[in-house]
Amino acid sequence: MRFAAFTWYDLVLLAQGLGVSLGLFLVTSLLGLALGTLWAVIRYYRVPGLTPLVAFVAELLKNSPVLVQLFLVFFGFPAFFKLNVTPVEAAVITLTGNTAAFIYVIAVAAIDSIGRDQIEAARVFGLTRWQVLRRVIAPQAAAFAIGPLIGLLVNQLQVTSLISVIGVLDLTKIGAILNLRTLKPFIVWTAVGLLYYLAAKLVARIGWRLERRLSRYSAWRGL
Amino acid sequence: MKPVSIYAEPEKRVLFDPSILMAHLSFLAAGALLTAQACVLALTGSLVVGAGVAIARTSASAGLRKAAAVYVDVFRNVPFIVQLFFFYYGLPEIGIYIDAFTTGVVALSIAGGAFASDVIRSGILAIDPGIIEAAEVSGLSKRIIFTKIVLPVALRTSIRPLGSVLINLILTSSILSTITLNELTGSAKIVAADTFRPFEVYAALLVVYAAFTYAVSIAITLLHRRQNRYLGGKVT
Repeated sequence: MRFAAFTWYDLVLLAQGLGVSLGLFLVTSLLGLALGTLWAVIRYYRVPGLTPLVAFVAELLKNSPVLVQLFLVFFGFPAFFKLNVTPVEAAVITLTGNTAAFIYVIAVAAIDSIGRDQIEAARVFGLTRWQVLRRVIAPQAAAFAIGPLIGLLVNQLQVTSLISVIGVLDLTKIGAILNLRTLKPFIVWTAVGLLYYLAAKLVARIGWRLERRLSRYSAWRGL
Repeated sequence: MKPVSIYAEPEKRVLFDPSILMAHLSFLAAGALLTAQACVLALTGSLVVGAGVAIARTSASAGLRKAAAVYVDVFRNVPFIVQLFFFYYGLPEIGIYIDAFTTGVVALSIAGGAFASDVIRSGILAIDPGIIEAAEVSGLSKRIIFTKIVLPVALRTSIRPLGSVLINLILTSSILSTITLNELTGSAKIVAADTFRPFEVYAALLVVYAAFTYAVSIAITLLHRRQNRYLGGKVT
């Protein structure tokens, strides 16, 4: 006997899947933000040797499919480095690296957007290179970067759907399971798509709030 | 009696040996060709869909504008893999039986069209209203103005952003491997399973994709510059 009908428990499954997707999205976004910013700081300090390496890795990660990166980590690493990688670990490693590559580009553009004259003025006043970065560049760069960053994060949320391919029980995988059981693809995938859509809108809305707050000093306040 | 392993004893392993791929090059090339075919077809589809949606989004009718905006919003905010499964598993349900390749190209075109329409729309909005007024005064019909003036100008100035859409299409096309299509990623999966050397296979694949998209982006920059050369260096 097959249980092909939808049950109320399916809603719990979907919620679980959404939780896994959002959780991994949050973790990898934060890790990627830290790593990408670190790469940009390396470029800011012009660390010899590391700067071109970082630029190369970022370019490689940006220009290749996430699916292939995922396979490389999930199937390649265990075979080559002889270490065990669980699907969730592989997902975290891959998504973090991929997000970091895009954040690196945004962070570099944000740092470059600060005028040379400001940095020179700050240096003349005796601020160290770190103080310039922390007190002069970072606040302005954050306001500059937040717009592209939100666009990127909305995109990365959708990229998380790929981890279902290596067996992480995220929203897409739950959709695939429900689809196989009920054989009602239209209903299942519409529900899954709707949940992703709402999550994306939520991210965009939070980002918009944050953007308004970060740019309130430079915003036009009227006369 | 000593148990016999069904697996061949691994010979002494070289640390990183991409030469194992040599035996599978023609198989991988066939996959790459399939990827290229899917991308070219999907690019054409995206441009057609994108131009149509861009027309709707810049049209005078509010209903049409709204409908086009909803289309773009939905297909940009739902993951491609979900859209793909929707079509791949859903279409047979309503009696449309098409193969994985066609499904993939259609799904790519629809998703790519949403991104392309945004690009083309901003290209249309960037056109100096004076040009359109001049055309109207000259007595050209609406259709002629659109097909002979607005669209060519909009497409030409948006070659570079359309190039990023194309590069995204190439990267996204790897997802077609999840619906049993043996394009480049799909055939690499088979080779990885065949050789037991997934690291070499996927590392090589990563570099191939990166090199290819890099080359495409350079070609697009050159094309963009050439097509807009008379703008006097305003377009870099």
